[in-house]
Amino acid sequence: MPENRETPIVEMRHIYKSFGAVRALSDVNLVLYPGEILGLVGDNSAGKSTLMKIMTGAYQRDTGDILISGKPVHFRSPHESRDVGIEMIYQDFALCGNMDVGQNIFLGRWPRRGFFVNRRRMYEEASAVLKRLKVDVNSVFQRVESLSGGRQQSVAIARAISFNPKVVILDEPTANLSVMATERLLETMLELKKQGVAQIIISHRLQDIFAVGDRVMVLKRGENVGDRYVKHSTEQEILGLIVQGTRETALTADQAVAKAA
Amino acid sequence: MAAVEIAAPASARRRLPLQLIGGWEVGLIIFMVILYLIGAYLNPKFFGTTAALSSVLRDAARYGVMAVGMTFVIVNKDLDLSVGSLYGLTAVVFSVAFSPSYFDAGLVPAIGWALAIGLFVGLVNGVLVTILRVPAFIATLTILFIGRGFVLGLSGGKTISFIEKAKGYPDFFIIGENNTWGFNNQVYVFVIFAIVGMFLLAKTRTGYQTFATGGNELAATYAGISTRWVRMRAYLMSAFCATIAGLMQVAQDRGMIAQSGQGLELIVIAAVIVGGASILGGRGRVLGSMLGVLLVVLIGKVLVEGVPTVRITIIDGKEVPVQAMAQLPPGAVPAFLGVILIVAVLIEPWLIRRQVFPRLWARLRGKPLPPVGDATSIAIEGVQTKGSHATDRALNATGLRKILARRDIAAILLAVVLWAVGLYLRPDFWGGLDNSFNLILAFTEVALLSIGLTFVIANGDIDLSVGSVLAMSGAAAGAAMKILGYDPFTAIVIGLLAGSAAGVVNALVTVRFGLPAFVATLGMFYTARGISAWIVSGFPLSGFPEGYNLIGRKLIDVLAYVGVAPEKGTLFFDIASALSVQSIFMGVVAILAGVFLGYTIWGQQVYATGGNRRAADYAGINTDRVRFLSLVFSALCAAAAGVIYIAFYRSFTPTAGQFRELDGIASVIIGGGSIFGGYGTIIGSLAGAAVITLLRALLSLQIITADGSFVLPQHWVNVFIGLILIVAVLIDIWVRQAGIFGQIKSFLTSSRRKPANA
Repeated sequence: MPENRETPIVEMRHIYKSFGAVRALSDVNLVLYPGEILGLVGDNSAGKSTLMKIMTGAYQRDTGDILISGKPVHFRSPHESRDVGIEMIYQDFALCGNMDVGQNIFLGRWPRRGFFVNRRRMYEEASAVLKRLKVDVNSVFQRVESLSGGRQQSVAIARAISFNPKVVILDEPTANLSVMATERLLETMLELKKQGVAQIIISHRLQDIFAVGDRVMVLKRGENVGDRYVKHSTEQEILGLIVQGTRETALTADQAVAKAA
Repeated sequence: MAAVEIAAPASARRRLPLQLIGGWEVGLIIFMVILYLIGAYLNPKFFGTTAALSSVLRDAARYGVMAVGMTFVIVNKDLDLSVGSLYGLTAVVFSVAFSPSYFDAGLVPAIGWALAIGLFVGLVNGVLVTILRVPAFIATLTILFIGRGFVLGLSGGKTISFIEKAKGYPDFFIIGENNTWGFNNQVYVFVIFAIVGMFLLAKTRTGYQTFATGGNELAATYAGISTRWVRMRAYLMSAFCATIAGLMQVAQDRGMIAQSGQGLELIVIAAVIVGGASILGGRGRVLGSMLGVLLVVLIGKVLVEGVPTVRITIIDGKEVPVQAMAQLPPGAVPAFLGVILIVAVLIEPWLIRRQVFPRLWARLRGKPLPPVGDATSIAIEGVQTKGSHATDRALNATGLRKILARRDIAAILLAVVLWAVGLYLRPDFWGGLDNSFNLILAFTEVALLSIGLTFVIANGDIDLSVGSVLAMSGAAAGAAMKILGYDPFTAIVIGLLAGSAAGVVNALVTVRFGLPAFVATLGMFYTARGISAWIVSGFPLSGFPEGYNLIGRKLIDVLAYVGVAPEKGTLFFDIASALSVQSIFMGVVAILAGVFLGYTIWGQQVYATGGNRRAADYAGINTDRVRFLSLVFSALCAAAAGVIYIAFYRSFTPTAGQFRELDGIASVIIGGGSIFGGYGTIIGSLAGAAVITLLRALLSLQIITADGSFVLPQHWVNVFIGLILIVAVLIDIWVRQAGIFGQIKSFLTSSRRKPANA
């Protein structure tokens, strides 16, 4: 087990969030180290997406602190979190089907030469990003709506990577993918990990998290009910946490390891 | 910018895909050449000369300039129906400012005013659509009507001319003249706008932002594009282009007529769609739009310049050939353009995406068929409306609050208040039998239309064609009697059938082919009015049999006709002379429709379809059938109103039902309907119709003042009704759906409770 006692890239402490009378998150903590793949699991309405939207600044927390590389931050919009290197890949990929792969990778920040879009540079860099990801998209000139779901996701990931992010959040990345595409996605994630990008996957599919993840964090009704190192845990144990875990019995990954030892 | 910096790969020298031109444009050019050759074959006198070419170019120049702006709007997945009206408004503003018989201003102030007004209209469109989230078609349609009202109001419906003064300003008016090369200088303006527009849309970030916004607005927002500004910008561009086109027109005519620009939005939108832009957004090229303009103008020319034919007439029993120009009547061109608009919109989803031609080609050669393209319905449905969804605040209210929480209560209260205002202003006249009778009559027409529209709007669709269908049915019934010589009963049936046919076309295009209802019915809006003008051209439609006119008369007249009139002075006599047949008919329809919508399973299906179509489909409701029938019913109501209209006036006028779609839609929205579907009651719509009727009556009331009396002209009334519609839609979106007052309240209370922490 790597002793990652360096500064966490993201740390969220004692996050509270309510929507009207509904308490969505209650005293939730989250730590993410550089290069780590963290699985975020839990039932529907456990607060996974809310927590991630608070991290990116799409939602505002009620109370609590967020530290990026040890420095406290307060994002008011996803654009501000993008500036410090947090990228989110949405479940529906958020791509423009009518535009081609290159145009989508550079959506909103198309390179310019004088008054015109510098298309040569755009397509070159787009193919470079795709190469770096080791995904095969036939052509950067292909319209995104003509791609399969898995390829579209590759474009979404390529788009995220082109910002040189430190953290990538994937919301239900395998929900709409075929088995083959899922395999490819997991390879891509490992490739990113190799390049030092920390990742958070929100997923219902434990087997995916166990295939590539380092650590799993379980949320239940807006509370932490424990987290575990993948190496020292089983799908069975995580399922048990999802169903029966309570905050009172919650252990951190290190505590769980210490207890088992 | 944090983009990755990587050395250029060796393959960098390969060709990039073309952006300015594509296969569609090539097809258009081929099609145009064929069309021109057909024109030249049919009428060599006109199409064989260069005059034809230069007149096509001259007419296309103004439309082309407008189409440049419109392309940006349509690629954004928006629509701007106000351009024709703005074109006229610009001409009027310039003429009023410049003309010696009005303000007699200089050239620069006159152009300045025209530009300022034009950009202001663009700003209003943009604010309404982007910030206030009014659906584009409803916002810009209202601006169209308001603009028309202003054109009539400012010009007084008169023609303004300043040929003499124009001679002093040759630098500007040269724009409208032919140059030594033989073509009009407007063509230069056209070419400049086209080239700038082409490169701006295809080659710059501005254009890319437009494609991203039209393709997936949410994704574009995530990518940091200010989609609101992108859409606003397009409206400003469209308005600017329309203003320039309007100025080009004054430069050519050295004056203006009140009708200038009428229906022009149809030509421009049809041209852009024909030119390959998708009404679903995200696709389109300026060059295509320019070719589309040329094609549409050429079609118009081929239709209007006529086909010389030899007509056989019988004189004294002998057949004599007569040389004649089989010119198409005035309504034909808009009717064709309306059809072209719909057909062009359908080409992309049904022919191109479904790969019809490649499949046909493969079948002919016996090769395996390429796959059918993706089902397009989902993409198309997405256009329908953009808006927030309602929360029901009436749930935990009781007693009086429950009544006040009804969505239709405002309309009912407003109707009562307006009637009281009328009584206060003219106590001598307002409450009397005559006025009440006239009010009920005016109410009947609006109410009939709004009953049908309630179904359509509750379904989440819209029917913009009711006013035109009213005219078409009236014309059909009139023509059946006067031209074809049918009896009144058959004429009524024919009128209703004509309306139903329009409804079936609306419904087929909307439901079967999956077009947004506003596009389908917009096509019918022009087509039906064109057909009605076509039917009546050359035939005065009046002097119907008295038996027919009875359906537009008072009950007492009917009783007298059949010989059972009651004694004068009895209560029955008074009632029978205050009620007219059409009001009774409307009442019956209203009660039936009200019961149907409010108390039957089918009514619930209408609401379910409008509330959430996918959910309704899952629940086993045949939403297609529900929407189909609603659209047909709406057209049928309009047809009934049309049949009654000509009976009441004893003649048909081509302006029948004009602006009535505005009244009908406003009635339903005021009466609690939502433009996003799922809401609307017959009682509410009737109350809304009452509000509209009373407003119109109040606004045209003769106010007696110390220095005489004053009546507001009718066109200002239309401006006012347009404003009412916009306000009603805004209230629907912001108060009923988004609950802005609740939001402000909770914002105020929460900021008081918790001071903002740094």
